Amino acid sequence: MHNSPLLRVNNITKRFGGITAVNEITFEIKKGELLGVIGPNGSGKTTLANLITGFVKPTSGTITFHGKDIHSLPPHKRVLLGIARTFQMVKPFYQLAAYKNLIIPLCSQRVKDMEGGKYGERDDIALDLLEEVGFERDSRVAYKPASILPQGYLKRLELAKAIALFPDLIILDELFSGLSLAEVASIIPIIEKLRVQGKAIIMIEHRLKELFRIADRIIVLNFGEKIAEGNADEVMESKAVKNAYLGAETE
Amino acid sequence: MFLSTIVLGFINSIILALVALGFNLTFGISGVANFAYGGLYVFAGLTAWIFINIVKLPYIVSILLSIAATSLFGALIYRFILQRVRGIELSEVIATFGIGLAVLELFRYLGFYGFEYTLPVMFEGSINLFVVTVSIQRVMIVIIGIALAGGIWFFTHHTKIGLAFRGIAQDEYTALTLGIDSDFIATLSVAFGSTIAAISAVAIFPLGTISIEQGYVVLINALAVSIVGGLGSTGGLIIAAFIIGYLQTFTSAYIDTQWVMFVPPLIILAVLALKPSGLFGKQKELEERV
Repeated sequence: MHNSPLLRVNNITKRFGGITAVNEITFEIKKGELLGVIGPNGSGKTTLANLITGFVKPTSGTITFHGKDIHSLPPHKRVLLGIARTFQMVKPFYQLAAYKNLIIPLCSQRVKDMEGGKYGERDDIALDLLEEVGFERDSRVAYKPASILPQGYLKRLELAKAIALFPDLIILDELFSGLSLAEVASIIPIIEKLRVQGKAIIMIEHRLKELFRIADRIIVLNFGEKIAEGNADEVMESKAVKNAYLGAETE
Repeated sequence: MFLSTIVLGFINSIILALVALGFNLTFGISGVANFAYGGLYVFAGLTAWIFINIVKLPYIVSILLSIAATSLFGALIYRFILQRVRGIELSEVIATFGIGLAVLELFRYLGFYGFEYTLPVMFEGSINLFVVTVSIQRVMIVIIGIALAGGIWFFTHHTKIGLAFRGIAQDEYTALTLGIDSDFIATLSVAFGSTIAAISAVAIFPLGTISIEQGYVVLINALAVSIVGGLGSTGGLIIAAFIIGYLQTFTSAYIDTQWVMFVPPLIILAVLALKPSGLFGKQKELEERV
């Protein structure tokens, strides 16, 4: 049981009209594993995230989570089962103070079921979570509305919102984009800590160097298809990956 | 004359704010422009009348039943009709407008018009306010209006479900990602909007007779206040209600009563031409198009 996958995506396909955004992709992820998903722009990475989180419905294929078929569940029900995500373009509640953004997930049925229903009333838990992702405790930044926070803090807030659901699987959609090297370096330990806690993490990334440092396994997408899977060295050695990133070699 | 106009204008403004609150609450949370609002308003008034005069229930029971029935009606409209066309704004407008028309014209077809259709006042009597005598019913409307606006503010700022409401209002996608069932919250938003329509109806109808036309007037007034204030903005709504309320009262006092009905449509046109997102609206994309 321990080694059975937490999430299994089986032959999933999504067509938008005549365009196949994701084509028969199969992969799985176990607890405590960090899976990187890379690929050129338009290769289907975000559609894959949307399929797993329920924002788009698959044309065919199945998704099982904790052994249960979830492919027809709406997004909020998948959240209750333990799937959290961040968005590439951050989506905080801009008019709410940063810590209030976390009160909503802390009030969710999932957290209630897990922790007994008191978390949503406790601002200190929201503030602790923000501190965990790098909001300095005494700086008062946590009390400022999200609308005036700089990008670095918004990305951290995006991560904190996902963590506040106490999920089993977190999908991070280009969390590193728009961040400086120093900011990325300060976020990596947070992600590694989540993995140590046993959470499965799917990271969709363009920042390959940073991703390769922490990912256990990588899958590479191109034109909606999985073209390679393996550790960082294996995928970068793959001819298909080189072609996808650098263009096809001419004979 | 001037002082009494000020007092009456104040009461008229609160009445406008009261009828617009429900329309605005629903739009602010779920983005649904509920054009059935006038239909729901008359539905509340006439069901209260039926409970009192035909079923012969006590006044307070009839009022509560009518408010509950109207709220349920609102929830059913969302669940069975709006949920299917959610996000397609034109369809939402056509669906709600059609339901409102059907309700109003069904009541007309069934013969619910005439002077006998009146609701009793909550409290008899009148009091002197400065220079003008005001019925206690009007004072009650002012109290209800202020209490409801305050209650909505407290609800959305200090309760968990209120926080979820604001979450949906700000970003439905994010709310879904955080485990909020957006259809459930939207159902509640239409139901709560309908509750406010019903409370306004049972408070305001005792001032005159229940007429089908009031359904259309209330919808236009709610639209005017919401458009001038900026859809979804509660502070803007209250200020807009005072602008339109006083304009109507001064028009009635110093020009002629027959011109009062022109105030809401004219002010809608003026605001749409000059500042289409409303005085306090958050829909900045409208500004950028101008």
